[in-house]
Amino acid sequence: MYHVVLTNRYLTSRVIPLIAVGAVALCAALVMIVVSVMSGFLDMVRDSGRTLMGDVVIELAVEGIPYYEDLIKRIEALDESEAASPLVDSFGMLQMPYPQGDNKQSEYVQFWGIEPESFARVTGYADTLYWRELDDQERRTAPQWDLRRQLTPQVLKDGLTLHDSRSDRPGIVLGMHVSKANERMPEGGYHPMGDGYWWMPAFDVTLVTIPTRTIGGQVEPESFIFPVVNEFVSGVFQIDDVRVKIPLEVGQRMLHLDEAELVDPDDPFTVIGTDPARVSKILIRAADGVSPNQLRDRVIRLYDEWVMEYAERDDLIVTPPTREFGLSIRTWEQVQARFIGPVEKERDLMRILFSIVYVVCAALVLTIFWAIVHEKTRDIGILRSVGCSRIGISLIFLRYGLVIGVLGSVLGLILAFIIVRNVNTIHDAIGRDAPVWSWVTAFGFAAVSLMMTILATRREHMLPVVLWSLGTIAMFGLGIILLFHRGTLVWDPTVYYFDAIPNTLDVPNAIVTIIGAILFSVLGAFIPAAKAADTDPVEALRYE
Amino acid sequence: MSETRRTTPTTTAPPTQPAGADFILRAHDVYKTYRMGRVDVPVLKGASIDVKQGEWIAVLGASGCGKSTLLHLLGDLDQSDPGKGEIFFEGEPINRRTRSQRNLYRNRTVGFVFQFYHLLPELNVLENTFIPALVGLTRFSYYAKRQEIHRRAEELLQSFGLGDRLKHRPQELSGGERQRVAIARALMNQPRVLLADEPTGNLDENTGGEILDLLAEQHRAGLTIVMVTHDRSIAGRADRIVELSQGRVVTID
Repeated sequence: MYHVVLTNRYLTSRVIPLIAVGAVALCAALVMIVVSVMSGFLDMVRDSGRTLMGDVVIELAVEGIPYYEDLIKRIEALDESEAASPLVDSFGMLQMPYPQGDNKQSEYVQFWGIEPESFARVTGYADTLYWRELDDQERRTAPQWDLRRQLTPQVLKDGLTLHDSRSDRPGIVLGMHVSKANERMPEGGYHPMGDGYWWMPAFDVTLVTIPTRTIGGQVEPESFIFPVVNEFVSGVFQIDDVRVKIPLEVGQRMLHLDEAELVDPDDPFTVIGTDPARVSKILIRAADGVSPNQLRDRVIRLYDEWVMEYAERDDLIVTPPTREFGLSIRTWEQVQARFIGPVEKERDLMRILFSIVYVVCAALVLTIFWAIVHEKTRDIGILRSVGCSRIGISLIFLRYGLVIGVLGSVLGLILAFIIVRNVNTIHDAIGRDAPVWSWVTAFGFAAVSLMMTILATRREHMLPVVLWSLGTIAMFGLGIILLFHRGTLVWDPTVYYFDAIPNTLDVPNAIVTIIGAILFSVLGAFIPAAKAADTDPVEALRYE
Repeated sequence: MSETRRTTPTTTAPPTQPAGADFILRAHDVYKTYRMGRVDVPVLKGASIDVKQGEWIAVLGASGCGKSTLLHLLGDLDQSDPGKGEIFFEGEPINRRTRSQRNLYRNRTVGFVFQFYHLLPELNVLENTFIPALVGLTRFSYYAKRQEIHRRAEELLQSFGLGDRLKHRPQELSGGERQRVAIARALMNQPRVLLADEPTGNLDENTGGEILDLLAEQHRAGLTIVMVTHDRSIAGRADRIVELSQGRVVTID
């Protein structure tokens, strides 16, 4: 029982354990924050992959996949699949309406020709469209400048069908950052520049591309003028920055992947058959409860059977390519591997690097405990003289470590939770100039601190003078930093891929961190505890 | 541990309690050597002492003659050189007991009082007094005996004139008060023998006298006391004086 009394007293009557608890809390919070943000980032990459391209992708660039309608029909008939959608993709230049008159700025874009209805079933396309009418609830909270307050339901409908209802022409949907006109507002949301003048759906743009499929002859660029019907936000900056969406048929025509007559190479005037329309990708969404890997394996089997069946047909000049000829069937994770891989590696690296923080934490606890045991040598002698056992004495210090570990990690968890939750607010605050009140307050504290320093010098003690002077310097320094702080963009979306920092605490990681912090605190207490147990009572009691 | 273990065979008599003796505590021909750096420093060189039940015995000697060491050996806070002498309590050699038995011996059978009081600074007077009673108790058994333990400690402190100091920390007390708390702590578990190491060595004459009066009172009540001192006048308060010089008992008064 004496351990309980002594542990409690040692904990409550000194400053050292508070420092130790603070150190453990900071270390634990640091690890939890970093790993949470990294994990959140990874989840965002994963989620975006899925919402952008479904679960499995069949891909054959340039050449394209013929008879895709039949293939999609068969895929959709599978129990494992929910929906499938064809698309063509390539690169092009987009002539923007700005800056003025005939002087058009061109942006490099990656365009996807999609079949909007099936594409929306496979991906989260409908949810990514930004310009839509606000509902009553949103209207109440939306800021006054929000253009969406004025929109009609037709804008969203046009985006979903990729058809401009006003001019009855095929439309284009741009990624939110393709045009340089949209500004991200600090409150969240976008506002076109020129006080809304450069709202893209009010303008036409021209897409220019080089056809990918060319059988002989000279390659001529293809161009098409589209009215912008909407803009989308996928949350992945690299995609919102370059991708545009156009109707599939237009895309196929521009890339020469549409249906065409096939002529005899030796006699260009003899038509020998039909070259079927092609697509460069088929996106497939898995049915509920089916993993992307299961779906991929099933689709591979189906595809091989389908190719065999077509190869046996005599009436066809063109047959679908087998998988050996560059056709790939991959899950979204495999497709995104070049994004996911590095992020996973980075997170693991962070884990390893920050594991060093654990070791630092253990070393810190060890040092603090060493100091405590050293200071308590005489107490140990006294306790031995009244009959306490060695184990009992080491238990005092182990309990001490345990309590510090538990308190520290719980405090760390709370700290990490608050910071992770508000990480975007904190980031935005750093991104702006410091408000006047902040540096005025800091200077105010510095002045009070300075006054206390002067008062303290009148007394005999040195410590208050030192502490108040340090307080003055710290507050003054903080004031100066705040005064000269100009908004710094730490999380630059062009570098970090996403436009917001993940803000959910990684719970499994937090549990591991808490267990680790407690374990390391106890381990840090172990050596001094053993040292305490081995203390020679006679030696300990020798001097006052 | 700074003690040195010697392997040379002993020439002293085999450690057995002489028949018919009524000694409560007995050191028989004990040796104790400390190692200072590379040098072995013999402190006790065959010291023997016999303490009778209910006796107040003073061990007198100059600084460094080994009197505190002898006291530590009697209280099993330290061990004599292996194979060189033995300590008996009621005829039983104490250094052949198990560790837990020896912890129990220090906790229940003997009580230590030191020159420098040695109170625990984080605990108040009451807690310092009852800490020996907590040794060996689980949380559960503590709550069962809590009232009894507190009452005993309070009674002791009250009888020592510290009734109004129960919640004070040691650093808020005078030297004499601290030593009284230390004696109260030593008596908490009602030991058979009180081992006092220069109990007045850090106090002025008047206060020292008060402490000796307090010990005399306990002695009259039947407590066996072994007191170490370098001051002949203080030693004079005891029933018997044993003089120690150069690690041996030279005279028995």
